[in-house]
Amino acid sequence: MKKLVLIPIFLLLTGCEITVLNPNSETGNDQAFLIVFSFALMMIVMTVVVLLFARFVWKYRETDKNRGTIPDDVKGNKKLEITWTVLPVLLLVVLAVPTVAITYEQSPDKSVETQEKATHVEVTAQQFAWTFTYENGKETINQLVIPEGETIVFHLKSKDVIHSFWVPELAGKTDVLPNKELIYEIKDAEIGTYAGKCAEFCGTQHAKMRFTTKVVSEESYNQWLKK
Amino acid sequence: MSIPFLNQLFSLPSDVISAWILTIIMGAFLTIYVFKKKKWPIIWQFMRTTNHRKIGTLYILFGILFFLRAGIDSLLIRTQLAVPNNDFWVFQGDKYNELFTTHGTMMIFFVAMPLLIGLMNVAVPLQIGARDLAFPFLNAVSFWLFLAGAILFNMSFFFNTAPNAGWTGYAPLSTEVFTPDVGNDYYVFGLQVSGLGTIFFAINMIVTIIRNRAPGMKLTRMPLFPWSSLITSFLMLIAFGVLSIALYLLMFDRMFGTAFFSGNEGSPVYWQHLFWIFGHPEVYILVLPAFGIFSDVISTFSKKRIFGYPAMVVSIALIGFLGFMVWAHHMFTVGLGPMANTFFAITTMLIAVPTGIKIFNWLFTIRGGVVRVTTPMLFALGFIPTFVMGGVTGVMLSVAAANFQYHDSHFVVAHFHYTIIGGTILGIFAGLYYWYPKITGKVLDDKLGKWHFWLFVIGFHLTFLPMHITGLEGMPRRVFTYQWSDGIFLLNLTSTIGAFLMGSSMLFLGWNIYKTHKYGLNTGNDPWNGRTLEWTVRSPSPEHPFEPMPVVREIDPYWYAKVNKRRIRTTANVRPAPISVNTILPVLFAFSLFVISIGMIYTWYWISVIGGTFTFLLLIVRFLNDERKAYYREEHSHE
Repeated sequence: MKKLVLIPIFLLLTGCEITVLNPNSETGNDQAFLIVFSFALMMIVMTVVVLLFARFVWKYRETDKNRGTIPDDVKGNKKLEITWTVLPVLLLVVLAVPTVAITYEQSPDKSVETQEKATHVEVTAQQFAWTFTYENGKETINQLVIPEGETIVFHLKSKDVIHSFWVPELAGKTDVLPNKELIYEIKDAEIGTYAGKCAEFCGTQHAKMRFTTKVVSEESYNQWLKK
Repeated sequence: MSIPFLNQLFSLPSDVISAWILTIIMGAFLTIYVFKKKKWPIIWQFMRTTNHRKIGTLYILFGILFFLRAGIDSLLIRTQLAVPNNDFWVFQGDKYNELFTTHGTMMIFFVAMPLLIGLMNVAVPLQIGARDLAFPFLNAVSFWLFLAGAILFNMSFFFNTAPNAGWTGYAPLSTEVFTPDVGNDYYVFGLQVSGLGTIFFAINMIVTIIRNRAPGMKLTRMPLFPWSSLITSFLMLIAFGVLSIALYLLMFDRMFGTAFFSGNEGSPVYWQHLFWIFGHPEVYILVLPAFGIFSDVISTFSKKRIFGYPAMVVSIALIGFLGFMVWAHHMFTVGLGPMANTFFAITTMLIAVPTGIKIFNWLFTIRGGVVRVTTPMLFALGFIPTFVMGGVTGVMLSVAAANFQYHDSHFVVAHFHYTIIGGTILGIFAGLYYWYPKITGKVLDDKLGKWHFWLFVIGFHLTFLPMHITGLEGMPRRVFTYQWSDGIFLLNLTSTIGAFLMGSSMLFLGWNIYKTHKYGLNTGNDPWNGRTLEWTVRSPSPEHPFEPMPVVREIDPYWYAKVNKRRIRTTANVRPAPISVNTILPVLFAFSLFVISIGMIYTWYWISVIGGTFTFLLLIVRFLNDERKAYYREEHSHE
């Protein structure tokens, strides 16, 4: 029963400071909520299965007493079977509602592309570096600077193969495709320095295709832009 | 290291050189052994056989051989990832990329598939009362095509041009612009040739199960392993067709200047659609037969018929059907939009329902039974909690918005190893221990089997449980290194230790097989107190089983015959058995396709022409030699 011991450890660990579960933006927080929520729902399933499993295997194990007996010939049980068909469906409905809501909310529509209020950054990926172009034409390589508390709209484009733009401490990733621009929004980032990575395997130095993200105050962002 | 050959300098890295040396030494030992023990007649016999048990045995033998190779790959991967900024041997950059590409491709196509197909070959005909597969000749062709494809794929490494675009071969990285070496051509043709074998096998299996069941073995009385094999075969037929098409398009992109997956008209996302329309059914192709094995094993060792048989069958079919409707959950981050993303999120969640039904039915099969924990049962019991852990992370991954964080991280790596190892591999081991007596006549040692199980399962959880966390800590998959500042050193070290524990468990399997063959005794027809027809025939199963043919009147006919102390009724009035022949044609046929492929890979087209001519001649020879003709003549003279 070694596996049973591991489950509370897993539970304990999730309580710790895990990057993705403690993100520093609104977008990331919504995603973290879904992760924790789905995990909690799934732990119900896991617990039920493991308890039944442990009980049945222990209770009905072969002993000297029952070695010769032939068990009753049970074909099935309609009520039980309906129960474990319907309950999971209900559980999944509970999960599906916030999934659909947040997925729609986080998928940027056309209007975002030209939204005036937001800060727009063009992200160009190529084997194995990132170029960031800001609204006034300023360019940086492997270093992204964005202002805190705003909606940042990333315009992602690749010069060669598929890459994926990921700052785990802020929010999820989006693929960077050649010949097609994808949009990703990160809302309300907090001040700090975060590691960014390429998440889609892109060739020899994929592991080294990293960048740093600096979230700074509105003021210092504007100053930095002018420099 | 540089080696002069034909006035040219070939530079070979040290890992390739070690592989050459190791292969030559082992090959020499094997040749000496074969000569000394005079094994040539047996080898010759197996090369010409069309018997389902022998072909199944070949599938399993080569599956295990490739398992060792792909397993070594995984140990090398884990060694490189043991500590941050590691510089282990040559495995950084391209070499590491080759490592995980071969590990993935081989484990899926040349380990899991042949082992499952091998077990189907051995067990399914015996379970349904068929005397062989419907098309024995085609069965041999399927096997040799698989082997030809596998050898092709493996060869590339020995010439230092292993494929390096991942087992998913995502375009445009896999097109000739970015990977001009022949490595990914080996990938294309290796999978193409072995995939053809898989399609032939699927047709064979479907026809066998539909046409060749024993009298009275209605579909509603069929054990669950044949049921899952039937549905799996339909999945194979459709999914491998799609893979074939995808690989053809990739071949044209790589070799003949088309642009299906790049440029302004083409798109790399097309490849992803095609690949996952194959790829997602593929994971159900891997897991459904394992479900079938577990159903039979759990029922046998609980001494009870399977709980809720109709629901079990329906849920296999449902999983198979839904398996074709979820492929884009591998593509949530490629910008398909919220409509597609939520649709595929919900279909993916739905798969959890039939899977849950199966889990609970297994649990309630155990309930009220008398559970004998033998090695196969132990693997089946280990499967339930392990697979459920993989299943629940699957539901978590289906949550589209959250998937933006999980996607392409080690969380995904943890998830699919939980399902593929926890489902498929544990199922293969359970099946192997369970049917081993039907293959060889001997039962594998139980004590060593349990050592194998515990080391394997503990090693497994040690390896993959921490990967959930490293993924959530932001470790992408397919990276050859990470930094101290990422804070994931200890978790990765644990994974590495676990991997070596898993590796060491295989030594127990090896020792077990050796010991059983040296000292094991023949155990008779029915070592496990079985329920289904395969336990009524001799062990190892004879070339002409079921003479006379049993007449089936209920599910688990052998069990109820034993319980009610009666004999299974038999009949002499049966449809003729498929005709077995001894023929070298299948080997030659596979060889000719191998030659075509080599010609294509290196663009020496004249070699392809020679190979193609050879294939054509072989087809003519085959058309002129129908083993059924003699039979028809005999039939005619009786009338």
